[in-house]
Amino acid sequence: MKSFRTFISFVKKEFSHILRDTRTLMVLLVMPVVMILLFGFALSTELKSVKVAVYAPSMDVITERIVTQVDASPYFTVSHYIKEKSGFERVMLSNKAQVIIAFEENFYHRVVHDGQGAIQILVDGTDMNIGQMATFYLNSIIASCRQELMMESMLNATETLLPPVMINVNTKMLYNPQMKSSFNFVPGVMGMILMLVCAMMTSVSIVREKQRGTMEVLLVSPVKPVSIILAKAIPYFTLSVVNLVTIIFLSVHLLKVPLSGSLFWVIVVSMLFIMVSLSLGIFVSTIVNTQEEAILISSMVFMLPTLLLSGMLFPIESIPVVLQYVSHFIPAKWYIEAMKVMMIQGLDIRYCMDSVLILCGFLVVIVSASILTFKNRL
Amino acid sequence: MKFRKFIQPLEEGFLSEGDVIRAEGLTKQFGNFTAVDHISFTVHKGEIFGFLGANGAGKTTAMKMLCGISTMTDGQVCIAGYDLKWHVRRIKREIGYMSQKFSLYEDLKVWENIRLFGGIYGLKEDEIERKTELLLDRLDLRKQKNSLVRSLPLGWKQKLAFSVAIIHNPKIVFLDEPTGGVDPATRRGFWEMIYDAAEQGITIFVTTHYMDEAEYCDRVSIMVDGRIEALDTPARLKEMYNSDNMDQVFHTLARRAKRDE
Repeated sequence: MKSFRTFISFVKKEFSHILRDTRTLMVLLVMPVVMILLFGFALSTELKSVKVAVYAPSMDVITERIVTQVDASPYFTVSHYIKEKSGFERVMLSNKAQVIIAFEENFYHRVVHDGQGAIQILVDGTDMNIGQMATFYLNSIIASCRQELMMESMLNATETLLPPVMINVNTKMLYNPQMKSSFNFVPGVMGMILMLVCAMMTSVSIVREKQRGTMEVLLVSPVKPVSIILAKAIPYFTLSVVNLVTIIFLSVHLLKVPLSGSLFWVIVVSMLFIMVSLSLGIFVSTIVNTQEEAILISSMVFMLPTLLLSGMLFPIESIPVVLQYVSHFIPAKWYIEAMKVMMIQGLDIRYCMDSVLILCGFLVVIVSASILTFKNRL
Repeated sequence: MKFRKFIQPLEEGFLSEGDVIRAEGLTKQFGNFTAVDHISFTVHKGEIFGFLGANGAGKTTAMKMLCGISTMTDGQVCIAGYDLKWHVRRIKREIGYMSQKFSLYEDLKVWENIRLFGGIYGLKEDEIERKTELLLDRLDLRKQKNSLVRSLPLGWKQKLAFSVAIIHNPKIVFLDEPTGGVDPATRRGFWEMIYDAAEQGITIFVTTHYMDEAEYCDRVSIMVDGRIEALDTPARLKEMYNSDNMDQVFHTLARRAKRDE
C-alpha cells in the first residue's frame, strides 16, 4: 500500500513534467497529424496528371483514339504535340513532359495491313517510381485500346481490320489497385512516431534526471529503481496511445485507408511495439550520461534506420543485400511489416505472426540488457 | 583482483548505544584504483559530522556507499542499527539526502515538490498536508506556494531542498556540499536550519569546501587520498596542528596528497 502510494505520486510527477512542457507536448501531438497530411497529400508518390507529349507523324483514327484515352485518364495529361523527332530531348529537358509517346510512321496502315504497329514510350527516369508506374499505366491503356479495336473488328466482320498482335497486359495490382502510396506510408509513420515518442523522449527524460542530479536523490530514497523507471514509462505509453489513435483515425477518415483487418490486433501489436520502443529508450538511458547523447543515439541509431531501412520510404527489396540484413535488426521493420499485413492487406494476425514473435524477442532481449547494464552501473 | 570477502552479518553490539554510523575498513575500488582506502569512523547520535577532503580525496564515493547508491568493495558498516550489506532498503528509509545540485524538480511547483518527496518516503496524505503547511510557514514560502521552483532564488531552493530531505524525520541526513554558490549570509541562514534539525535529534553528515563551515561542526574528519588523516573536534584539531583556524589545518593535511584531482 505504501509503495503503491509512492508509485502514484511518481506517475503524477512524470505527467506534470510532460504537461508543463507545453511546447514539446504540442510538437509530439501535432507531429503525427502533420506527417499524415504531408505524406498523404503533399509528398505522395502516386501518379496524378503526369505530363505527356505525343509524337504522331500521321494523325490517324487509332492514334487519336489512344491519345484521347491517355488524356482522359486521371494519371496523364497530354500537354504537348511534338512535330519533329529532334524535338524529343528538348521537350524532356525543358520539363514540358515526363513521358513521350511516339507512334511510328503510317501507324494506322501498319496496324491494319501488317497486323502490328509500334509505339515507343520514353520516360523521364529521374523519379524512378513515377517512371515505372507511368510505363505500367500507359501499357495498360494501350493494351485496352488494342482490345477494343479487336472487339470492334470482330463485330463488324465486313471490315477487313485485322486484330494486331495481342500482348495482353493484364497485370493487376493486388491490395492497392490504385497504387495509392498513402496506404503504404501509414505503417511507416506509425513506426516512426512511436519510436520517437517512446525511445527518444523516454531516454531523454531519464537522462535529464541523471544530469540534474535528481536521479541520485531518487536512488537514495527507498523507492525501487523499477518503480522509478516504470513511472517514467507510463506517461509516454499514454502519449503513444493517443498518437496511435490519432494516426488510425486520420488514416481511416481522411486518407480512406480501408483498415480491413482487425482493429483489435492492430492495436495490440502496436502496444507491443510501443513497449519495445520504451525498453529501447530505457536501455539508451542506462548507457549514456547526457541528454545530447541520448538524442543523438536515438536519432542516429533508431530513427534514421527506421526511416531508411524499414521499407517506409524504399521497398526493402530494392536496398543492397547487406543493408537488408541490417534491417532485420530494426524492430520498426517488423512492426511496419505486421501493420502492412493487417491494415492494408487486411489479413488476419496469423499472417504476420513471425513479425509479432520477433518483436516479442526484441522486447525480452532489450529489457534484460537494460537490467544488466543498470546493475553494472551501480 | 581481490575477491570480495565472504559476507558475514555484523556482530551483536557492533554499533554502540550512542552512535548512528560505524564504518570499519570501508573500501571502494575501481579496478586498480582505490578511491576509498579502508576508512573507519563512528558518528554519534545527534551530532553534526563534517566530512572534509580535497576534490578527488574520495569523500563523495564514501558518502555514496553510505547512502546505498554505490556498493562497497570491502568493510563493515552499520547505519541506524542496520547492516549496510544486508539491509540497504531499510537504511534508506532512515536517511535523507541532499546533493550539491539540490535536486529539486525545477518544473514542478513548490508544493508539488514537497508533496512528491512526502510521497516518495511513503508519508500519508494528511501527514503530507500537515508537513506542507508547516514547511511553507517555516520557510516563508506561502506566497510562492504555486510558483515553479525554477523561479526561486538559489538560497531558497537550498533551504527547500534541505527541508524536503528531512521531511520524513530521518535518523541521519547526508548533505553533499549543500551550500555551494551562495553568499555568506545565506549560508549562515542555512546552517541555522542545520542546527535546528540537529536539535531535533537528526544526525547531520555534511561534506563542505568552506572551512568556516567546518568550524560549525561538532566533529570533523579530513580525508586525504582515500584515507581519513584526522578526525576530532575543530578545537582539538586546531590545537593538534598549531593552527588558528580550520583552513590552516586543512591545508597542512591536504598538502600531503599525492593524487591529482
